[in-house]
Amino acid sequence: MIKIKDLEKIYRTEEVETVALNKLSLEVKEGEFVAVMGPSGCGKSTLLNILGLLDDPDGGSFMFNNIEVAHFNERKRADLRKHNIGFVFQSFNLIDELTVFENVELPLIYTGVKSAERKKRVEEVLDKMQIMHRRNHYPQQLSGGQQQRVAVARAVVNRPKLILADEPTGNLDSSNGNEVMQLLTDLNEQGTTIVMVTHSEHDARYSHRIIRMLDGQTVLENIMV
Amino acid sequence: MIYNYLKIAIRNLLKYRFISFINLFGLTVGLTCCLLITTYILHEISYDKFNDQHDRIWRITRSFNNPETGAQSLHLGTIAPPFAPLLKNQFSEIENITRLLSGGSATFRYGDKMFNEEDIYFADEQFFDFFKVNVVKGDPKTALNDPMSVMLTEEVARKYFGDAEPMDKMIRMDNQLTLKVTGVYKPLPSNSHFHPNIMVSFNTLKDSTVYGESNLRTNWSNNSFFTYIKVPHGFSPERLEAKFPAFLDEHMADVGSRFKPSQWTKLHLQKLTDIHLHSHLDYEAEENGDIKRVYIFSAIALFVLLIACINYMNLSTARSALRAREIGVRKVVGARRKEIIAQFLTESVIVCWLAIILAFALTWLLIPYLNQVSGQDLSINILLRWQVMVPLVLVPFVVGIMSGLYPALFMSSFQPVKVLKGMFKVGGGNVSFRKVLVTAQFAISIALIICTTVVYRQMNYMQQKALGFDREHVLSLPYINTLSNSYESFRNELLSNASVLNAGRSSRIPTSRLLDASGTRIMRGDSLAPVSADIKYVVADKDFINTYGVKIVAGRNFSRDFSTDSASFLINEAAARVLGFASAQDAIGKRMGYGGRDGQLVGVFNDFHFESLHQQIVPLVLFIPRNENTYNRISIKISGNNIPAALAHIEKTWKRFLPDVPWQYNFLDESYDRLYQSEQRQGTIFTIFAGIAIFIACLGLFGLSAFTITQRIKEIGIRKVLGASTTRIVTLLSRDFMILVAIAALIAFPIAGTAMYAWLQDFAYRTTMSWWIFPLAGIIALMVALATICFQAVKAALANPVKSLRTE
Repeated sequence: MIKIKDLEKIYRTEEVETVALNKLSLEVKEGEFVAVMGPSGCGKSTLLNILGLLDDPDGGSFMFNNIEVAHFNERKRADLRKHNIGFVFQSFNLIDELTVFENVELPLIYTGVKSAERKKRVEEVLDKMQIMHRRNHYPQQLSGGQQQRVAVARAVVNRPKLILADEPTGNLDSSNGNEVMQLLTDLNEQGTTIVMVTHSEHDARYSHRIIRMLDGQTVLENIMV
Repeated sequence: MIYNYLKIAIRNLLKYRFISFINLFGLTVGLTCCLLITTYILHEISYDKFNDQHDRIWRITRSFNNPETGAQSLHLGTIAPPFAPLLKNQFSEIENITRLLSGGSATFRYGDKMFNEEDIYFADEQFFDFFKVNVVKGDPKTALNDPMSVMLTEEVARKYFGDAEPMDKMIRMDNQLTLKVTGVYKPLPSNSHFHPNIMVSFNTLKDSTVYGESNLRTNWSNNSFFTYIKVPHGFSPERLEAKFPAFLDEHMADVGSRFKPSQWTKLHLQKLTDIHLHSHLDYEAEENGDIKRVYIFSAIALFVLLIACINYMNLSTARSALRAREIGVRKVVGARRKEIIAQFLTESVIVCWLAIILAFALTWLLIPYLNQVSGQDLSINILLRWQVMVPLVLVPFVVGIMSGLYPALFMSSFQPVKVLKGMFKVGGGNVSFRKVLVTAQFAISIALIICTTVVYRQMNYMQQKALGFDREHVLSLPYINTLSNSYESFRNELLSNASVLNAGRSSRIPTSRLLDASGTRIMRGDSLAPVSADIKYVVADKDFINTYGVKIVAGRNFSRDFSTDSASFLINEAAARVLGFASAQDAIGKRMGYGGRDGQLVGVFNDFHFESLHQQIVPLVLFIPRNENTYNRISIKISGNNIPAALAHIEKTWKRFLPDVPWQYNFLDESYDRLYQSEQRQGTIFTIFAGIAIFIACLGLFGLSAFTITQRIKEIGIRKVLGASTTRIVTLLSRDFMILVAIAALIAFPIAGTAMYAWLQDFAYRTTMSWWIFPLAGIIALMVALATICFQAVKAALANPVKSLRTE
C-alpha cells in the first residue's frame, strides 16, 4: 500500500537547516499495523504527516496504492486524503463548536455524501464506538477517552484504507488508552491498515511491526508475533 | 454544506460574544450611517423629478455684466416679464412657457380670520402643464384663468374656512384685492424647489392697481419672474442659448444704454432638475442644496463604511488564531481550500445580513432625529423602491465578501500540520497587513477630526466676527405703504417709550442680499460722466444708519436739518475706493449721479457686512427715496433691559396705526443666524458622523488590542517573571499602536488640509487654518488610542504571570 524510497524532508529557517527525514525508505503492506517509535525530534511525526499527505517531501519517492503522490498539489492531495486516509491525533482535535454527531459527520460532508446516508453511517459508527448516547453533546462535555473515541469514529466514518494515529493514547489514562488501542486493533482486524506513532512500548505491542527511528532514518525493525 | 457553515457561524458568533458584538455593532453603526446619508442623498438628487416631464423643462435665467470689463455683476434665477411671450413667439422649440412671480408675504383675510401668509406666488394657467400638483378641488385647466382667482393649499384653506367649502369664497389680500377661491391643492412635496402656499392667477397682475398690463409688456428691469419653458426631447440648450444675444438686441433695442443689450446682459438655460443642487444664483425661489454637500456626505458615508469593514477584517483575522485548529481539522478530514474560503465568506455575509437588518431598523428609528437636526424632510420611504432595495439586499454580499475575503484567504492558507501541532503563530505578513488597516482607520479618523475642527471654527468665526453694525436687539417689521402719510407720528409714538431707542426705514436690511443697482456718474471736468464701477443701492431714511449703529467715517449722516438731503448720497468705503477717491474725506462734498438722481456725497460710512459672510463687501450707496413706498422694512432698535415691555409698546402702536395688518416682527440676530443655518446644520451633521466614524475606529482598536495582548500573554508573563514593571509592559504594548497613529497622522494631515482649504474658499470671510489644529487632531487620536489600549494593557500587565505560563 505504501512504498517510500529515499524520502527527504528538510526544514529551513533563516539560519538553521534541520534534516527531519534523511533518505528514509519504508514499505507498509495492506492490512498491516505498524508502530513508529523513536525519541523526540527523530522525524516520526514528519513521516506521519507525509504519509497522511498533509506535508510534501523535499525529495524521494512516495507511492500510495502504486501511484506516485510525492508531487501532488494541495487539491489532489486533499482529494486523495479524504477518500483514503483517516487521522487520529494525540489531542483529539475535535471542533468545539460542533456536536459529537456533527464532528463525525464532517468528513462525509466534504466527500459529498447525501444527508440521509450520512446520518446512517454516522450512527453506525457511533454505535460501534459506543458513544451513541453522547451524539448531541459538545466535545468539552466528554471525558478524554470519549473524545478520542469520537475522533476515531471520525477517522473511520469514511471507511478509509489507512488510519494514521499520532500518539493516540498520549493524553489518556491507561484504561482509556487500552480501550482506544483495542478499537484500533479491531479496525485493523477488519482490514484497515494502521500506522501509529507512539512513545509507549505498551501500545506498540498491539502492532505487527515496530519501526524505530533516529535522526530521520529507520534504525531497527521488530516484527511482533 | 451551507447548512453546516451556517451552523458553525452562528455557534461561533455566540461563543465569542464580545468580538461578535464589536463586529456586529461596528458594522451596524457604519451601515446605519450609510443608510441615513443615502436617504439624504437620494432626497437631494430627487428634487423636481416628481414632475412627469421634468427632463423637458428648463428655467431661463438672466445675468448682468459690466459691458467694458465683461465681469458678471449679478445672475438672477428670474427674468423680466416681457421676455416670456416674445420667446414663445420667436422660438419654435419652446412648446410652452410659464411664469411665476413670488408675491412674498401678504395679509389674507376672510371674515374675522386674518393671517399673514408666506410663499405666495402669482402663477399662470400653464403652471399645471409643467408641474405636477395634486389639485383636490377645482379644475387645474381653468382655475388660474381669470383675474382675481386664487388657489390655496389644503392647510391654508382649512385655516380660513375650517371644514366649510372653500370654493368660490371671496378672500381679501392685503386689504386691496378681493380674490375668489377657485381651487385647493395638496402642498408640493419637500423635494420641489419651490413651495407655493397660495397661488394667485397671473392675470391678476394685469390689473393696473396690481402691476399693470403695460408693465408686463415693457418693464425690462423688473427681473423677478421665474420663467420655465417646455421643450421637445432631444432639445439642444446650447443651440437655443446661442440665439439669445440676437434676440436681446432685437427686442431690447429701445432700452436706453450706449451699449447693445447683448453686451451687458445674457439669458441662460437651466435644467429643472439641476436647480436644487447646481444653481446658486443671486435670486432663487428658495435656498437650494449644494452638490458639494452631497459629495461631502457621500465621502463620509464611504469612510464610515470603510472603517467598519476594516474593523471586521481586523477582528476576524485576529480571531483566526483561535480558529486555526478548526481549520486544520477541516483540512485533515478533507476540506479543500475553496471550501474553507466559502465557509468564512458565509460567516461574514451572515454577520453583514444581521447588521443590515439592524441598520435598517435603526435608520427607521433615527430618521426623525436626523430631520430635527438637519432641518430636512427625509423619509425612509425613499429607500423602499427596487432601485435601492435590490442593491441593499446585495450590500451584505459585497461588504461581507469585501471584509471577509482577506480573513478567509488568510485562514484557508493555514498548514494543517502546523496548526494542529501547535506550531502555529500569526505570520509576519498578516500582522503588517493588519497594521496597514489600522493605520488607514486612524488616518480617516484624524482627517475627520481636523475637518470637524475647521468647520466648527468657521461657524464660530461667523458668529463672532465684528460685522460693523449692531445686530443685537434690532427688530425688523414690514413697512406697510399706508404708513407713509403718518410715518413721523408713528415713529414719534414708538420713541415715546424709553425702551425704544431708534427706528429707521429701508428697502433692504442687513442679512438680506444687495441686488439693486443703477448706473453711477461722477464729475469729470465740468459734467457728470458714467463710471463702470458696479455699485449697489439701498434706499434708506435719515435714521437707518443710526438704528444699526453704523459708523460714519467721514462727513455726516443724512439729517433732518438739511432739506437738501433728499438728493444726497451716503456711500461706504468700498464705493469711495472704486470711485477713485483718495480717501473717505476726499469724497465729501463731491457731486455724484446715481440712476436718475443727481446730488452731493455727504458722508462715507464704514464697510459693514450688509450681506452674509459668504459675500465680499460690495460698494454701496444709500439715498432717501422720492417715493416712500419703496421702503420695505422698518428696523427698530430697542434697549435690552425690558424687551417684553418694548415689544408690547411697539405692538400697541402698530395696532393703533395699522389695525388691518397682522402684527409681526422678527429679531435681526435670528435672521442672521438663519444665514448660516445650513452651514450650522451641515457642521452638526458632519460632527455627528465624524464622531461615529471615530467611535467605530476605536471600537476596532479596542477589539484588536485585546487580541494582540491575548497573543502576547505568554511574552508578558515571561517579562514579568524576569522583573519588568507594569509601566514598562504597558509602554511596550502601547508603543506599536502609537507608531501607527503617528504614520496615520502624516497621511491625514495633507489630505485634510487640502480638503478644508478648498471648503473655506466658499466663504469670503474665513477663519485661518491654524497650524495647531493638526497636532491637536493627532493628539486626540493618540489619546483615544492610548486610553483604549491601556485598558487592555494594564489588565494584561497586572495579571499573574504564573497563570499565563502554565497554560501550555
